[in-house]
Amino acid sequence: MKVETITQLIIFIPLLGSLLVPLAGAISPKLRSFWSVLIGGITAFLPLTLITQALKGGEILWSKRLALGLDFVLIIDPLSIFMSIVSSFIGFLIIVYSLGYIHHEEHQNEYYLMVVMFIGSMMGLVFSGSLVFIYLFWEIIAIACWRLIGFYRQKDYVLKADKAFLMTFGGAVVMLLGFILIYAQTGTFDLTAMRGVAIPGSAVLLILFGLFSKSATVPLHTWLPDAGVAPTTVTALLHAAVLVKIGVYAYARLFLYTFKIPAAWQQAVIIMAVISSLIAAAGAVVENDIKRILAYSTISQIGYIFLGLSVANPTAVSGSLLYILMHGLAKAGLFLCAGIVIHSTNKRDIREMGGLIRTMPMTAISFLICAFSVIGLPPLGGFFSKLLVIMGAIKANQIWVAALALFTAILTMYYLMRVFSLVFLGELKVSAPEKTPSMVGVVTVLALFSVLAGFFVSYPMKLVQLATTHITWWLR
Amino acid sequence: MMATTLLWPIIFPAVMAIILFLIPARIKLVREVLAVLSSVVMLYLGFSLFLLKNLSLKTNWLGMGINFDFRLYQFSAFILLALSGFLFLIVLYSTIKMKDHPRIREYYAYVFLAAAFSNGAVLANNFVLLVFFWEAILITTYALITLGLKPTSHRTAVKSLIIGGLCDFSMIMGIGLIWASTGTLTMDQVHLEPYGLAAAAFILMMIGAIGKAGAMPFHTWIPDAALDAPVTFMAFMPASFEKLLGIYLLARISLDFFELKVGSPMAMVLLIIGAATIVLAVFMALIQKDLKKLLSFHAISQVGYMILGIGTAIPIGIAGGIFHMINHAMYKTGLFLSAGSVEHRTGTTELKKLGGLAREMPWTAFGFSVCALAISGVWPLNGFVSKEMVFHGALETGYPIFAIAAWVGAIFTFASFLKAGHSVFFGPRSTEVPKTRESQWSIVLPILILAILCITFGVYNKLPLENFIQPVVAGHAEPGQHIDLAAGALNLFTPIAGVSMLCLLIALGLHFYGWKQGGKKAYLASEPIHRLPVLHQLYDLSEARFFDIYEQGVKFLAWLSRMLFKFIDRPIDFIYEKVVVSIGRFFTVLFQKAHNGQYGNYLAWTIGGLIVVVWVILKLLQ
Repeated sequence: MKVETITQLIIFIPLLGSLLVPLAGAISPKLRSFWSVLIGGITAFLPLTLITQALKGGEILWSKRLALGLDFVLIIDPLSIFMSIVSSFIGFLIIVYSLGYIHHEEHQNEYYLMVVMFIGSMMGLVFSGSLVFIYLFWEIIAIACWRLIGFYRQKDYVLKADKAFLMTFGGAVVMLLGFILIYAQTGTFDLTAMRGVAIPGSAVLLILFGLFSKSATVPLHTWLPDAGVAPTTVTALLHAAVLVKIGVYAYARLFLYTFKIPAAWQQAVIIMAVISSLIAAAGAVVENDIKRILAYSTISQIGYIFLGLSVANPTAVSGSLLYILMHGLAKAGLFLCAGIVIHSTNKRDIREMGGLIRTMPMTAISFLICAFSVIGLPPLGGFFSKLLVIMGAIKANQIWVAALALFTAILTMYYLMRVFSLVFLGELKVSAPEKTPSMVGVVTVLALFSVLAGFFVSYPMKLVQLATTHITWWLR
Repeated sequence: MMATTLLWPIIFPAVMAIILFLIPARIKLVREVLAVLSSVVMLYLGFSLFLLKNLSLKTNWLGMGINFDFRLYQFSAFILLALSGFLFLIVLYSTIKMKDHPRIREYYAYVFLAAAFSNGAVLANNFVLLVFFWEAILITTYALITLGLKPTSHRTAVKSLIIGGLCDFSMIMGIGLIWASTGTLTMDQVHLEPYGLAAAAFILMMIGAIGKAGAMPFHTWIPDAALDAPVTFMAFMPASFEKLLGIYLLARISLDFFELKVGSPMAMVLLIIGAATIVLAVFMALIQKDLKKLLSFHAISQVGYMILGIGTAIPIGIAGGIFHMINHAMYKTGLFLSAGSVEHRTGTTELKKLGGLAREMPWTAFGFSVCALAISGVWPLNGFVSKEMVFHGALETGYPIFAIAAWVGAIFTFASFLKAGHSVFFGPRSTEVPKTRESQWSIVLPILILAILCITFGVYNKLPLENFIQPVVAGHAEPGQHIDLAAGALNLFTPIAGVSMLCLLIALGLHFYGWKQGGKKAYLASEPIHRLPVLHQLYDLSEARFFDIYEQGVKFLAWLSRMLFKFIDRPIDFIYEKVVVSIGRFFTVLFQKAHNGQYGNYLAWTIGGLIVVVWVILKLLQ
């Protein structure tokens, strides 16, 4: 098959397939599960077939002319392929895990519909090369996200869902203004036609609102901890696979691959990223709800990714891209472990848990491994990404920024070890068994991948390097 | 020989770790035999690589100058050999001591993994590769401490992880600075003058090295681990492996990566840290009432001599520091293993409960005594030789204060070992522990081997000095200057040796005085010093962990986090939750008023809106 065809399939199979989920659900729940896993599986498998294309380097552009200059443009380059592999793979694991987690809840039709559509629009966003379609998929994701966060339908939960929706939507609208400014300047929405164009600071600022609100960066971050009211599978999806990675991905796509942005704004993002990282880590130290802690931890880690991208030298950028993978694996693992714990104990306050390593050893060990990876300890994968980002920052002469980032890493170590100690060690307060094989299996796989990603880091690194050289073409 | 041989000391133990982990817990004999055999293989590898001396291997890894780059030369070969030797002894010892440990599968897995990572760190010739292995040791340390299975074990494990993490992150920062200023990450291509930014890099890297070695103020987890971790871990990590690694790196930092000059600010930093570590830790060691804890403070104090030696930046001092490293690893491992042997038979290491065990456990007592005399620097054991070299170097820097600090350390080291040995093995037989007998051969043998090595390295100091130490410092002497470290190493009739001997006599006097004062109870021998006016208050504060960088640091982290959360994060959320919502409500109410239910009104709004839309579209189309 041609690369372009495969790419279109990657986008449209989940987008259209998701619409059939309620139909399958109407026939039988088994068929619905099968269908969702199948669609998720295909979406996870197809990007892998693009690896050969990615390894060739270079890019393939494909576009379909539509009215009013709103062309549908696809950019198939190492960056988009890398991102689609990471997102769809983690998304697929989360669908499998959902089978055990969600099976006694109501509204499962809607759940699977939204999850699959979520992944589909992520794929669309990743490959889109046009500002209009980026915005379109951006908002589909926001809607899916809104429904999923309010999944349990309690009044206060729905309010949190509204908060998440309004904050990300507000950011996106401001971003749209930025897009319009760019359109006014260049007369096109097609990114491939605008490469190397210098855009004014005002457009950068407007777009940053969108990126920061979606990627939950201080000061547009507070919806993310609140979104923890969602089912844990959804939280994992938001944090690890799709939602919060959109902002950083769009940063790479827009501000590295396409536009030239003013140096002052680049410096501003560097500083905001590292401050966001620190403040969020502080939040994670203070909180006691396991999901809020992990949510703050995500915000903190996203700060590192932004840091690497905004430093914009090859070391830091490749560190950031690798970070997307490593953080995705580890954070998905952490959330899904937390999901098992919450599911079994019906508690979310870590002070009320304890000693669970005795009843759920696999979960505990997977949690610990993923925590080590997020902290950035070798031989786990997270080490390399954090190291490269920080080394890149130092090389770009951002010495104090790098020092602050390392300080944040110590905070990370502190709060994650606190969670582990309180939840899994000490005396057993609530005795609860481990959950279904599909749930435990998925967290084990994620932990295993974090380990393998450390020992065999040179393989993802190859892809990351190609993506880096590709998007930092202006450095050559 | 093939260059890939270099990977064997890393891959082999890593694979063995997995195999040993997979053998079911019930099958004891196979695991023990396999573990001992693998450590013998490691020892063989260590020897053959040591004889080989020079070998390097380089392949691409992550690009950007981050290569898979290993280099074997005289220094790394020496450390590699030492590491495999200690691994062998500790594994042999563990076969009995850890026999019935409920998590024995993990134990061997972690030990061999730690060995693999340590070997990798020693062989690495690329800074990123170095940090990879170096920091990976943290996880094995963490895991091994949790195997202590005490209620506080995990707390201590986290403490070691966070302190270690702090040191390693600072090392990453240092490496980044080196990279930024030299543009290379290959270790043998870096040679900087430590001024300006490079001085910061030096300090940061040094923190990584001395943190691993357990110098002050990064030492505080070691005394906790003495009680919370298995004693074999103490012999394995803080006593031998971490010292070897930490001092190896420190020596490389001061000799290779940076050019440390005598009396330069950076050298002074090392001298001060070294001297402070010697004195402060030995004072803590002196008053301990538990044998393992006492030993752990000495494990810290002795690092001071090594750092002091390297900080002199004079060949004899550096050589003394490095020689002290290997000597210390031998006697301190021997001491911890003897403590383990006592614990194995009596179930306790509290000095108060023990006494007069020499008759029942003669070999352990012998091994302990030799090692204790060696650490105290008694002629003609190895500790004497290396300490004399350090004293010599310290005096030559022109700052006698550092030599004095080292001598003060010597006094109290001997005093505390007189107290420890006297309370455990000599004096009247205690009634609190039942009659017992000598430990099994695989416990006693490692102790005796180490004791004999202590004697050998002292009496025949020419052997280690010429084979191991001299080649390392040879490249750093003044051109034309010939270093012969072994000549006169055992000479008792020099002023320096005289002062040292005087120190030992003072210690003997102090011990005798304290023993008399304490009603002839040896474990109370340090009480007169403990109860000295100002010192007493300081001891109390220190017991309350007031000087513990970790306890204070964690408090600081928690405080800082609360502040950031309360004054930045929550106010931001307040804006969204309250301010935005009330503004929204205000406009809602305002617009509600526009809905008065009259047709004309709605029509006017609609037409007005239409005009705006058309205007915008027209504007855009232009």
